[in-house]
Amino acid sequence: MESGTINAEPRTQLGSKHTRRMRKSGKMPAIIYGHGEKPEPITIDAHEAENLLDHHSHVIELSLNGKNSNFLIKSVQYDYLGTNPIHLDLMRVDINERVQVNVEIELRGTAKGTEEEGVVSQLLNSIEVECLLTKIPESIRASIADMDVNDDLLVKDLILPEGVTAITEGDEQVAICRIPSVVEEVEEGEEGEEAMPEVIGKPKEDEASDDDK
Amino acid sequence: MALMPKRVKFRKSQRGKIRPRATRGNTVSYGDFGIQVLEAGWVTARQIEAGRIAATHFLQRQGKVYIRIFPHKSITSKPLETRMGKGKGEPEAWVACVRAGTMLYEIGGVEENVARQALARISAKMPYRCRFVKRRHEM
Repeated sequence: MESGTINAEPRTQLGSKHTRRMRKSGKMPAIIYGHGEKPEPITIDAHEAENLLDHHSHVIELSLNGKNSNFLIKSVQYDYLGTNPIHLDLMRVDINERVQVNVEIELRGTAKGTEEEGVVSQLLNSIEVECLLTKIPESIRASIADMDVNDDLLVKDLILPEGVTAITEGDEQVAICRIPSVVEEVEEGEEGEEAMPEVIGKPKEDEASDDDK
Repeated sequence: MALMPKRVKFRKSQRGKIRPRATRGNTVSYGDFGIQVLEAGWVTARQIEAGRIAATHFLQRQGKVYIRIFPHKSITSKPLETRMGKGKGEPEAWVACVRAGTMLYEIGGVEENVARQALARISAKMPYRCRFVKRRHEM
Protein backbone atom coordinates (compact mmCIF):
# COMPACT_ATOMS: atom_id res chain seq x y z
CA MET A 1 0.00 0.00 0.00
CA GLU A 2 1.64 3.18 -1.17
CA SER A 3 1.16 6.54 0.47
CA GLY A 4 3.21 9.73 0.36
CA THR A 5 3.20 12.90 2.44
CA ILE A 6 1.49 15.86 0.83
CA ASN A 7 1.59 19.41 2.13
CA ALA A 8 -1.83 20.80 2.95
CA GLU A 9 -2.94 24.26 3.92
CA PRO A 10 -6.17 25.29 5.62
CA ARG A 11 -8.61 26.88 3.13
CA THR A 12 -10.11 30.17 4.24
CA GLN A 13 -11.57 31.45 0.96
CA LEU A 14 -14.54 29.26 0.12
CA GLY A 15 -16.93 29.29 -2.84
CA SER A 16 -16.77 28.44 -6.53
CA LYS A 17 -14.99 31.65 -7.58
CA HIS A 18 -12.02 31.07 -5.27
CA THR A 19 -12.00 27.34 -5.95
CA ARG A 20 -11.80 27.95 -9.72
CA ARG A 21 -8.84 30.30 -9.24
CA MET A 22 -7.20 27.79 -6.93
CA ARG A 23 -7.50 24.98 -9.50
CA LYS A 24 -5.98 27.24 -12.16
CA SER A 25 -2.93 27.75 -9.93
CA GLY A 26 -2.36 23.97 -9.65
CA LYS A 27 -4.07 23.40 -6.29
CA MET A 28 -7.00 21.17 -5.41
CA PRO A 29 -9.69 21.73 -2.79
CA ALA A 30 -10.41 18.99 -0.27
CA ILE A 31 -12.36 18.55 2.93
CA ILE A 32 -11.51 16.65 6.10
CA TYR A 33 -14.29 15.27 8.32
CA GLY A 34 -15.03 12.48 10.78
CA HIS A 35 -14.44 11.48 14.42
CA GLY A 36 -17.11 13.94 15.58
CA GLU A 37 -14.93 16.96 14.87
CA LYS A 38 -15.73 19.98 12.73
CA PRO A 39 -15.20 19.64 8.96
CA GLU A 40 -12.02 21.38 7.81
CA PRO A 41 -11.65 22.70 4.24
CA ILE A 42 -8.06 22.40 2.99
CA THR A 43 -5.96 22.90 -0.15
CA ILE A 44 -3.48 20.36 -1.52
CA ASP A 45 -1.18 20.20 -4.52
CA ALA A 46 -3.19 18.83 -7.47
CA HIS A 47 -0.27 17.07 -9.17
CA GLU A 48 0.78 15.20 -6.03
CA ALA A 49 -2.81 14.15 -5.34
CA GLU A 50 -3.23 12.88 -8.93
CA ASN A 51 -0.06 10.79 -8.62
CA LEU A 52 -1.37 9.28 -5.41
CA LEU A 53 -4.73 8.44 -6.97
CA ASP A 54 -3.00 6.86 -9.99
CA HIS A 55 -1.46 4.34 -7.58
CA HIS A 56 -4.96 3.31 -6.35
CA SER A 57 -4.05 4.52 -2.89
CA HIS A 58 -6.78 4.59 -0.24
CA VAL A 59 -4.76 6.42 2.42
CA ILE A 60 -3.20 9.85 2.16
CA GLU A 61 -0.64 11.29 4.57
CA LEU A 62 -1.00 15.02 4.99
CA SER A 63 1.27 17.51 6.67
CA LEU A 64 -1.24 20.01 8.03
CA ASN A 65 -0.30 22.80 10.45
CA GLY A 66 3.11 21.17 10.98
CA LYS A 67 1.59 17.83 11.98
CA ASN A 68 1.61 14.63 9.91
CA SER A 69 -1.51 12.46 9.98
CA ASN A 70 -3.20 9.81 7.87
CA PHE A 71 -6.59 10.22 6.22
CA LEU A 72 -8.82 7.81 4.37
CA ILE A 73 -9.86 8.91 0.87
CA LYS A 74 -13.66 8.59 1.00
CA SER A 75 -14.55 9.94 -2.42
CA VAL A 76 -13.02 11.67 -5.41
CA GLN A 77 -14.83 14.04 -7.75
CA TYR A 78 -13.66 14.22 -11.35
CA ASP A 79 -14.23 16.78 -14.11
CA TYR A 80 -16.79 16.20 -16.89
CA LEU A 81 -14.37 14.09 -18.95
CA GLY A 82 -13.37 12.02 -15.93
CA THR A 83 -9.66 12.78 -16.36
CA ASN A 84 -8.70 15.26 -13.66
CA PRO A 85 -9.76 14.98 -10.02
CA ILE A 86 -11.31 18.24 -8.82
CA HIS A 87 -12.12 17.53 -5.17
CA LEU A 88 -11.23 15.03 -2.44
CA ASP A 89 -13.23 13.91 0.58
CA LEU A 90 -10.90 12.79 3.37
CA MET A 91 -11.90 11.09 6.60
CA ARG A 92 -10.06 11.26 9.91
CA VAL A 93 -8.92 7.78 10.97
CA ASP A 94 -6.71 6.17 13.58
CA ILE A 95 -3.89 3.99 12.37
CA ASN A 96 -5.31 1.01 14.33
CA GLU A 97 -8.89 1.56 13.25
CA ARG A 98 -10.81 -0.93 11.13
CA VAL A 99 -12.26 0.83 8.10
CA GLN A 100 -14.76 -0.06 5.40
CA VAL A 101 -13.46 0.52 1.89
CA ASN A 102 -14.24 -0.50 -1.69
CA VAL A 103 -11.51 -2.65 -3.19
CA GLU A 104 -11.20 -3.40 -6.88
CA ILE A 105 -11.58 -6.99 -8.13
CA GLU A 106 -9.10 -8.08 -10.81
CA LEU A 107 -9.96 -11.16 -12.85
CA ARG A 108 -6.90 -13.16 -13.87
CA GLY A 109 -6.52 -15.76 -16.62
CA THR A 110 -8.70 -16.86 -19.52
CA ALA A 111 -11.85 -18.81 -18.69
CA LYS A 112 -12.17 -22.38 -19.98
CA GLY A 113 -15.65 -21.53 -21.23
CA THR A 114 -14.34 -18.97 -23.76
CA GLU A 115 -13.14 -21.89 -25.92
CA GLU A 116 -16.81 -22.92 -26.24
CA GLU A 117 -17.88 -19.40 -27.32
CA GLY A 118 -18.69 -18.36 -23.74
CA VAL A 119 -18.28 -14.69 -22.78
CA VAL A 120 -17.09 -13.69 -19.33
CA SER A 121 -18.95 -10.69 -17.93
CA GLN A 122 -17.70 -9.01 -14.77
CA LEU A 123 -20.82 -7.91 -12.89
CA LEU A 124 -19.09 -6.65 -9.77
CA ASN A 125 -15.98 -4.54 -10.18
CA SER A 126 -15.32 -3.84 -6.53
CA ILE A 127 -16.39 -5.19 -3.17
CA GLU A 128 -16.75 -3.51 0.18
CA VAL A 129 -14.34 -4.91 2.75
CA GLU A 130 -13.48 -4.20 6.36
CA CYS A 131 -9.85 -4.23 7.43
CA LEU A 132 -7.17 -2.33 9.32
CA LEU A 133 -6.16 0.98 7.79
CA THR A 134 -2.63 -0.29 7.28
CA LYS A 135 -3.77 -3.49 5.57
CA ILE A 136 -6.05 -2.22 2.82
CA PRO A 137 -5.35 -4.42 -0.22
CA GLU A 138 -4.64 -2.61 -3.50
CA SER A 139 -6.90 -5.08 -5.32
CA ILE A 140 -8.37 -8.55 -4.88
CA ARG A 141 -7.25 -10.96 -7.57
CA ALA A 142 -9.44 -13.85 -8.62
CA SER A 143 -8.49 -16.56 -11.08
CA ILE A 144 -11.15 -17.45 -13.64
CA ALA A 145 -9.09 -20.08 -15.48
CA ASP A 146 -11.37 -22.92 -14.26
CA MET A 147 -14.56 -21.10 -15.17
CA ASP A 148 -16.72 -23.10 -17.60
CA VAL A 149 -19.84 -22.05 -19.52
CA ASN A 150 -22.74 -21.30 -17.10
CA ASP A 151 -20.34 -21.06 -14.14
CA ASP A 152 -20.58 -18.17 -11.69
CA LEU A 153 -17.90 -16.58 -9.52
CA LEU A 154 -19.46 -15.41 -6.25
CA VAL A 155 -18.16 -13.04 -3.59
CA LYS A 156 -17.78 -15.96 -1.16
CA ASP A 157 -15.44 -17.69 -3.68
CA LEU A 158 -12.93 -14.83 -3.51
CA ILE A 159 -9.75 -15.43 -1.55
CA LEU A 160 -9.29 -12.42 0.70
CA PRO A 161 -5.99 -11.51 2.37
CA GLU A 162 -5.59 -12.19 6.10
CA GLY A 163 -7.47 -9.74 8.33
CA VAL A 164 -9.78 -8.63 5.53
CA THR A 165 -13.49 -9.48 5.73
CA ALA A 166 -16.04 -8.93 2.99
CA ILE A 167 -19.09 -6.79 3.79
CA THR A 168 -20.71 -7.34 0.39
CA GLU A 169 -23.12 -10.32 0.51
CA GLY A 170 -21.43 -13.64 -0.29
CA ASP A 171 -24.12 -14.68 -2.79
CA GLU A 172 -23.52 -11.74 -5.10
CA GLN A 173 -22.13 -12.64 -8.52
CA VAL A 174 -18.70 -11.25 -9.37
CA ALA A 175 -18.40 -12.74 -12.84
CA ILE A 176 -20.42 -15.07 -15.05
CA CYS A 177 -19.57 -17.06 -18.15
CA ARG A 178 -22.45 -17.41 -20.62
CA ILE A 179 -22.96 -18.10 -24.31
CA PRO A 180 -24.49 -14.90 -25.73
CA SER A 181 -27.95 -15.31 -27.26
CA VAL A 182 -28.02 -14.71 -31.01
CA VAL A 183 -30.23 -11.80 -31.97
CA GLU A 184 -31.50 -12.06 -35.54
CA GLU A 185 -30.94 -8.83 -37.39
CA VAL A 186 -34.12 -7.50 -38.95
CA GLU A 187 -33.51 -6.13 -42.41
CA GLU A 188 -34.41 -2.50 -42.74
CA GLY A 189 -37.23 -1.61 -45.09
CA GLU A 190 -36.92 0.94 -47.83
CA GLU A 191 -36.55 4.57 -46.93
CA GLY A 192 -39.74 6.19 -45.80
CA GLU A 193 -41.19 2.87 -44.67
CA GLU A 194 -39.90 3.34 -41.13
CA ALA A 195 -42.69 2.96 -38.58
CA MET A 196 -43.46 5.99 -36.47
CA PRO A 197 -43.81 5.69 -32.71
CA GLU A 198 -47.25 5.59 -31.16
CA VAL A 199 -48.41 8.97 -29.79
CA ILE A 200 -49.61 8.72 -26.18
CA GLY A 201 -53.20 9.90 -25.75
CA LYS A 202 -54.03 9.89 -29.46
CA PRO A 203 -56.19 7.05 -30.85
CA LYS A 204 -54.58 4.92 -33.57
CA GLU A 205 -55.66 5.58 -37.18
CA ASP A 206 -57.66 2.29 -37.42
CA GLU A 207 -59.50 2.98 -34.16
CA ALA A 208 -60.26 6.56 -35.20
CA SER A 209 -61.78 5.41 -38.53
CA ASP A 210 -63.92 2.79 -36.69
CA ASP A 211 -65.29 5.50 -34.42
CA ASP A 212 -66.27 7.65 -37.42
CA LYS A 213 -68.46 4.83 -38.77
CA MET B 1 -33.25 -1.48 -37.41
CA ALA B 2 -32.44 2.02 -36.30
CA LEU B 3 -33.38 2.93 -32.75
CA MET B 4 -36.43 5.07 -32.00
CA PRO B 5 -38.88 5.39 -29.11
CA LYS B 6 -41.87 3.01 -29.02
CA ARG B 7 -44.28 5.64 -27.70
CA VAL B 8 -43.97 9.42 -27.57
CA LYS B 9 -46.09 12.12 -26.04
CA PHE B 10 -45.49 14.51 -28.96
CA ARG B 11 -44.33 13.60 -32.49
CA LYS B 12 -42.37 16.79 -33.07
CA SER B 13 -40.04 18.63 -30.73
CA GLN B 14 -38.42 22.05 -30.67
CA ARG B 15 -34.73 22.23 -31.50
CA GLY B 16 -33.58 22.94 -27.93
CA LYS B 17 -30.12 23.95 -26.75
CA ILE B 18 -26.93 21.98 -27.16
CA ARG B 19 -25.64 21.71 -23.60
CA PRO B 20 -21.84 21.73 -23.35
CA ARG B 21 -20.63 19.32 -20.68
CA ALA B 22 -21.95 15.99 -19.37
CA THR B 23 -22.51 15.71 -15.65
CA ARG B 24 -23.86 12.17 -15.80
CA GLY B 25 -23.48 9.21 -18.13
CA ASN B 26 -19.80 10.12 -18.41
CA THR B 27 -18.20 7.08 -16.74
CA VAL B 28 -17.63 3.49 -17.89
CA SER B 29 -20.43 1.69 -16.03
CA TYR B 30 -21.24 -1.61 -17.76
CA GLY B 31 -18.21 -2.82 -19.73
CA ASP B 32 -14.47 -2.50 -19.19
CA PHE B 33 -13.69 -0.01 -21.95
CA GLY B 34 -15.67 2.78 -23.52
CA ILE B 35 -15.76 5.50 -26.12
CA GLN B 36 -16.38 9.04 -24.94
CA VAL B 37 -17.47 11.93 -27.14
CA LEU B 38 -15.43 15.14 -26.78
CA GLU B 39 -17.87 17.55 -28.43
CA ALA B 40 -21.54 18.27 -27.84
CA GLY B 41 -24.26 17.81 -30.46
CA TRP B 42 -26.69 15.34 -31.99
CA VAL B 43 -25.97 11.70 -32.95
CA THR B 44 -28.59 10.23 -35.29
CA ALA B 45 -30.14 6.79 -34.89
CA ARG B 46 -28.47 5.74 -38.17
CA GLN B 47 -25.04 6.72 -36.87
CA ILE B 48 -25.67 4.82 -33.63
CA GLU B 49 -26.72 1.74 -35.62
CA ALA B 50 -23.71 2.07 -37.96
CA GLY B 51 -21.42 2.13 -34.94
CA ARG B 52 -23.06 -0.93 -33.42
CA ILE B 53 -22.78 -2.90 -36.68
CA ALA B 54 -19.12 -1.89 -37.14
CA ALA B 55 -18.24 -3.10 -33.63
CA THR B 56 -20.24 -6.36 -33.67
CA HIS B 57 -18.87 -7.33 -37.10
CA PHE B 58 -15.33 -6.75 -35.86
CA LEU B 59 -15.83 -8.59 -32.57
CA GLN B 60 -17.38 -11.67 -34.25
CA ARG B 61 -19.50 -12.71 -31.25
CA GLN B 62 -16.69 -12.05 -28.76
CA GLY B 63 -17.49 -9.85 -25.76
CA LYS B 64 -20.51 -7.61 -25.36
CA VAL B 65 -21.26 -4.15 -26.76
CA TYR B 66 -23.33 -1.73 -24.69
CA ILE B 67 -24.96 1.32 -26.31
CA ARG B 68 -25.18 4.09 -23.72
CA ILE B 69 -27.21 6.64 -25.72
CA PHE B 70 -30.75 6.54 -27.15
CA PRO B 71 -32.33 8.79 -29.80
CA HIS B 72 -35.28 10.34 -27.95
CA LYS B 73 -35.55 13.49 -30.07
CA SER B 74 -37.33 13.69 -33.43
CA ILE B 75 -35.97 15.94 -36.15
CA THR B 76 -38.36 17.26 -38.78
CA SER B 77 -37.68 18.51 -42.27
CA LYS B 78 -39.71 19.96 -45.11
CA PRO B 79 -39.82 18.19 -48.49
CA LEU B 80 -37.73 19.61 -51.35
CA GLU B 81 -39.21 22.34 -53.57
CA THR B 82 -41.85 23.25 -51.01
CA ARG B 83 -42.80 26.82 -50.24
CA MET B 84 -42.17 28.09 -46.74
CA GLY B 85 -45.02 28.10 -44.24
CA LYS B 86 -47.86 25.57 -43.95
CA GLY B 87 -46.58 24.41 -40.58
CA LYS B 88 -43.68 22.35 -39.30
CA GLY B 89 -42.32 19.52 -41.46
CA GLU B 90 -42.70 15.81 -40.80
CA PRO B 91 -40.32 13.82 -38.55
CA GLU B 92 -37.42 12.52 -40.66
CA ALA B 93 -34.88 11.29 -38.15
CA TRP B 94 -34.35 10.51 -34.50
CA VAL B 95 -31.32 11.84 -32.64
CA ALA B 96 -29.63 11.49 -29.27
CA CYS B 97 -28.43 14.73 -27.68
CA VAL B 98 -24.88 14.19 -26.45
CA ARG B 99 -22.71 16.43 -24.33
CA ALA B 100 -18.91 16.52 -24.20
CA GLY B 101 -17.93 13.60 -21.97
CA THR B 102 -20.96 11.38 -22.69
CA MET B 103 -20.07 7.70 -22.92
CA LEU B 104 -21.40 6.45 -26.28
CA TYR B 105 -20.55 2.75 -26.29
CA GLU B 106 -18.94 0.30 -23.90
CA ILE B 107 -17.32 -3.07 -24.50
CA GLY B 108 -16.80 -5.85 -21.98
CA GLY B 109 -15.38 -9.36 -22.01
CA VAL B 110 -12.52 -8.74 -24.45
CA GLU B 111 -8.82 -7.82 -24.24
CA GLU B 112 -7.84 -4.16 -24.33
CA ASN B 113 -6.24 -4.30 -27.79
CA VAL B 114 -9.39 -5.89 -29.27
CA ALA B 115 -11.61 -3.33 -27.55
CA ARG B 116 -9.41 -0.49 -28.84
CA GLN B 117 -9.75 -1.71 -32.42
CA ALA B 118 -13.52 -2.21 -32.14
CA LEU B 119 -14.04 1.22 -30.59
CA ALA B 120 -11.83 2.85 -33.22
CA ARG B 121 -14.23 1.47 -35.85
CA ILE B 122 -17.16 2.98 -33.96
CA SER B 123 -15.29 6.27 -33.67
CA ALA B 124 -15.02 6.43 -37.47
CA LYS B 125 -18.83 6.29 -37.73
CA MET B 126 -19.41 9.08 -35.21
CA PRO B 127 -19.95 12.71 -36.24
CA TYR B 128 -17.75 14.09 -33.43
CA ARG B 129 -14.27 13.54 -31.99
CA CYS B 130 -14.20 10.61 -29.59
CA ARG B 131 -11.63 9.02 -27.31
CA PHE B 132 -11.00 5.61 -25.78
CA VAL B 133 -11.39 5.29 -22.00
CA LYS B 134 -10.93 2.52 -19.45
CA ARG B 135 -13.01 1.78 -16.39
CA ARG B 136 -11.92 3.78 -13.34
CA HIS B 137 -11.94 2.29 -9.86
CA GLU B 138 -14.41 4.06 -7.59
CA MET B 139 -13.26 4.74 -4.00
